[in-house]
This record gives sequence, structure tokens and C-alpha cells, in this order.
Amino acid sequence: MTSTSATEAPRSRRRIDGWRWGGRIFLVFMLLYTALPMVWMLLTSIKSGFAAMQFPPQWWPNEPTLASYQKLLDPQNSVGQDFLRFFWNSLSVSVVTTILAVAVAVPAAYAFSRFRFPGRKFLFFAVLLRNMFPAVIFLVPLFILMRWLGLVNTHGSLILTYLTFGLPLAIWLLKGFYDNIPYQLEQAARIDGATRFQAFLYIVMPLSVPGIIATAIYSFIGAWNEYIYAATFLTKNEQLTLPVGIQRFFSENTTDFPGLMAASFMMSVPVVVLFLLLQKYFVRALTEGAVKH
Amino acid sequence: MAQVVLKDLVKTYGSIYAAKDVSLTVNDGEFVALVGPSGCGKTTTLNLVAGLIPITSGDITIGNRIVNDLDPKDRDIAMVFQNYALYPNKTVFQNLAFPLQMRKLPKSEIETKVKDAAKVLDITHLLERKPRELSGGQQQRVALGRALVRDPAVFLMDEPLSNLDAKLRVQMRSEIKRFHQDLNATIIYVTHDQLEAVTMADKMAVMNGGLLQQYDTPANVFANPVNMFVASFIGSPAMSLVPLQATTVDGRTSLTSSEGWVLPLSDANARKVAAASSHKIVLGARHSTIKLHKSAVDGAVPARVYTVEPTGDITFVQAFLAGAILNISLPPTAQVAPDEMVWLEFDQDRIHLFDGETEMALRAS
Repeated sequence: MTSTSATEAPRSRRRIDGWRWGGRIFLVFMLLYTALPMVWMLLTSIKSGFAAMQFPPQWWPNEPTLASYQKLLDPQNSVGQDFLRFFWNSLSVSVVTTILAVAVAVPAAYAFSRFRFPGRKFLFFAVLLRNMFPAVIFLVPLFILMRWLGLVNTHGSLILTYLTFGLPLAIWLLKGFYDNIPYQLEQAARIDGATRFQAFLYIVMPLSVPGIIATAIYSFIGAWNEYIYAATFLTKNEQLTLPVGIQRFFSENTTDFPGLMAASFMMSVPVVVLFLLLQKYFVRALTEGAVKH
Repeated sequence: MAQVVLKDLVKTYGSIYAAKDVSLTVNDGEFVALVGPSGCGKTTTLNLVAGLIPITSGDITIGNRIVNDLDPKDRDIAMVFQNYALYPNKTVFQNLAFPLQMRKLPKSEIETKVKDAAKVLDITHLLERKPRELSGGQQQRVALGRALVRDPAVFLMDEPLSNLDAKLRVQMRSEIKRFHQDLNATIIYVTHDQLEAVTMADKMAVMNGGLLQQYDTPANVFANPVNMFVASFIGSPAMSLVPLQATTVDGRTSLTSSEGWVLPLSDANARKVAAASSHKIVLGARHSTIKLHKSAVDGAVPARVYTVEPTGDITFVQAFLAGAILNISLPPTAQVAPDEMVWLEFDQDRIHLFDGETEMALRAS
């Protein structure tokens, strides 16, 4: 990019600059569009209940307060108990989903990439088939299935469902990674004294870490944010995950907007932190295979 | 180091033979080149020896063990790959140490061996670098080092020089040859470049279409190619092959062309032609054995010059003769022009005669 604009600059500086400024204005607009709701959420969360209802609305509260956060994080308080339980539920469902997704996707993707077995192409297509339909189509069939399996009102129903939705893309993502790792590296390792599994473990796995991290982030975020299935499969309060829990407890029964916003903000923290820390792997995974190295 | 014996080795993919009845013995300490055009089965044969692909039938013996069903790791071999296959996430030191770690050697011994190997290949200063920070020649040396550090029974090399630029290739060619001499290593070396095979190997196995064509020293393969394929594959420029007819009049055997000229044969060559399966004979001659005359000479045949290529110390001339193109080498002072008529004289002791039907070299019976 830089080199292109640098070499073309003398010839067509005006045109390039026009594009660049247009691009910047567009980016600023997109930033406002995506960030403003977050900012409003954060600002509302530090207002008192009264300040949040004021009209015309106040941007910066006269008396900023962390009371909502204290309430939510206080295990002595019933609101705090609920919030912390939902948080824990979400965390355990998401973490288990993530671990299982990686555990299944890694060998599956490796097999699709390396082995030539009958039905390979068909199976790979079948794996991606799920992604052609909106998730909500499967809501009723899956509910019936879960009831038949006796999994309604358990976190297992959610983990299984999230895996069904998350695995196809995870396998597809990882297969791209394995495809890009030269097979000769494994051959070399096997000649150097490794078994096929050791060659995978010591040579292929370390090289596919970015793909595995991307897969993990993708699975975690998917499970963490999911609402519809969690709202359908779970009815008992003590089992709810954050998206459903927050909605039921803070928007239906009360008008505690600062509390709702504080809970929402804390819910988005793990995702944002995770993504910021690991985003370079995520970008790499999505663009892997786009260019030949 | 050890001897390697291939006996009736066969590899098929469906009904296609990738290697068919390949039998050859690589003696202890010998440098053998498997050479042939792409798809000839040379890499397949190497991978069979390595155990990277299973054999269909036949036997492979390394040392005095039959290794047909052994994993690559248990065959006591080391391999240098065309693209080097260095582990990109490991440093040079870790790359060299990997085969030793897999064999569970103690740490101190690994360090000594890696440093020794690095010293031999002059890569000690690179040990902490990652492969991507190395030049092509350095990567090549690290790949050699990773093979060397193990002290294996056999080194297998799959076109190790083909990714290098021309200048570096010549340099690494002599380094690998030196490596072989110093270690007295048994090496099986795959290449499509006949020049590499001729210059480096003790023996060369010429392959084509999955079949072993000829297995001998480069000098013998060059001097006595067994068939037209080997004759045209080995040597640069290639041996010229001219399809002719054998005729015998009054007990004198000659070769006649469609252009009408007649080339009388010596008694020895006449005896070879007598063994042919038909009258179709192919005359083969290397560029350096053909004499070019500017006017008609007794025993010389007329040809028309096609191109003249001065290379500095030698001028190569291509000429049309009986529908074929002949390569002739001349001193740089020679004055020849395209489309000029010239007369070519063959050295009867150094021409090659092939059976036009079977394509096999004709030998005096």
C-alpha cells in the first residue's frame, strides 16, 4: 500500500488524496456508528437512576457513580448474586464449548487437509451445509431433539448447539491453516525419528497455533453472545446465561437502566479484551491462504 | 554407513506403474544418482526407500535388514528435501537438534553433536537464527546438517539443488561432493539434471517411465548407452540420432538415407547391424565426434547448416541430416554460416548404432 502510493504520488497526488480523505471520513463515520452506543452504554452505567431518565439527556452525568457496578458485583445482594451466577454460567458454557470445539476441529481439519478418504469432499461440503441456513430455522427441531435427549434446562443443550453452529467454520478455518503447512515438514519429521502423531504434535501443531487461537476466539464469542437458543432451552433462573439473564432481570422487571448498562458493559469486557489481545491471530487466520507465501 | 539393495521394487497407483521392477545395489559409501525426466519414477523410488510411501511389491534392504514394513523413523536414514523442509518455527540449532531429541539423546550429547555438524558445514554463526532469516545456500546447508547430525546409514537427497540459482548450484554441487568424500557416506541422490548426476555420482541409475534403463558409472553410461533414451538423455548437447536404412551389397554393409547418400560401415559396425531385428537402424553420434568439412570428402555425407551458436570456447552448429538435426561442436575459429552446405564425417569407432524397432543399442554379436 505504502509503496504503491509513494511511487504514484508525483503523478496523481490529488486523486490519491481524494480517495484517502474519503476513506478517512468513512472510517470516522463507521467509528461513531459502532462506538457511540458503547459510549452511551458506559456513560449511562455511571449515572444514577434519575439521571438516566432525564430529558433532554445528559452526556456526562453531574454526579458520576459506580453504584451500579458495586451492586452487581456484591455477592451479598440478590441482584449481585444473580449477575455473578449468570456470569459464571456464561463463562462455563463458553469455555467448555471452546475447548470442545478446538478438540474436535483440530483433528477433523487435519484429516480433511491430509487424508484422502472416500467421501472426503462430500463430508466437507456437508460440514459447511449448516452455514447455508439461518440458525433460527433449527430452533424448534433442536428443542424437540433436546427434550427427547432430556437435555432441556441443562447447559449441555447449549454446548451441543453451539458446537453444531461453531464447528463448521472452525474446521474450515483450521483446514486452510493445515493446507498451508507443507506436507514435507511432516515427512522430514518422520524421517528424523518422529511417529506420525509426534510429527503432528511437535511440528504441525506449533505452526497452526494462530489458527487454533482464531478458532477458539470464534467459538468463545459465538457462545458468549448467543441469545435465542439460551432463551429457549433454559427456563430455570439459576441456569440462565448473561444475555438472557440481563434481559429478563433488568429490562422486564425494573427500569434500572444504569444497572442494565453496567451489566451489559461487564458482559462485553471479556470479549473485547480477548479480541484485542489476540486479534492479530484472528486476522491472520481469516486471510491465510489468500496469498501464496 | 550401509549398503542399500532394491530388489524387483514395484509401486503402482491403480493400473499405473510409478516404479516397475527396479533392482539395484548401492554399495557402502557409494554416491548413486537416480536421474531421469520428470515423472520417470526417480522420486517415487527414493520415497519408497525412505518409507514415505508403501511399496506394492519387492524388497528394500538397508544394511542387512529388510525394511519393507518399517516406519521411516526406524530405517536409519536421513533425507534432504527439494524445498529443504526446515522447521520454520525452530532455530537452526533446534532444527539440527530435533532428530537427536526424537532419539532421546542426553542434552549434553545433543549440544556436542549439533555444534560438530554446524562446524563441518560452516553454519556455527547461524545457530540462533530462524530458517526464514537464511539465504538459500544457508538453508541448504542447514538441511544437510540436519541429515548429517544423525550419522545415518544412508543419505537420501531429493533434488536438493534445484531451488538454488545457477551460480550457487555449481558451488553447492562441489560442496555435496566434498561432503560425500569426507564422510564416505552412502548417498542416493535424485535429480532431473543429468549434468549433476554425471559430475557428482559414482554410479547413475537412469530411469524412464518407471523403469530402470541403465545402472552404471557415468563414464560407462556416457560411452555405452544401452538404448536411444539413455543416449539422448545423457550428455549436453544431446546425442544426435539419425534414422537410416541398412543395406548390404556384395557383402558390404552400408547405411542409406532417404536423401540418397550412402554411408559405408566398418566391419565391426557391420557385425552390429547384422544383429538388428530389421533394416531400420538409428545412427547416434555425439557432437564432439563429428567432423565438419566445407567440401565433399570421401566417406562424408552432405548436410545443411541450420544454426550456429558461438559460446566462446566452443561453437555449436546444428545441421539437418536425413530429416534429423545433428549437433556438432567446432573450435571458435570455425567459419560456418546458416544454410551453408557442409559434409559430415563420422568416426566409425565412436558412433552408436541402435535398432530402429526396439530402440536398443546394437552390440557386436
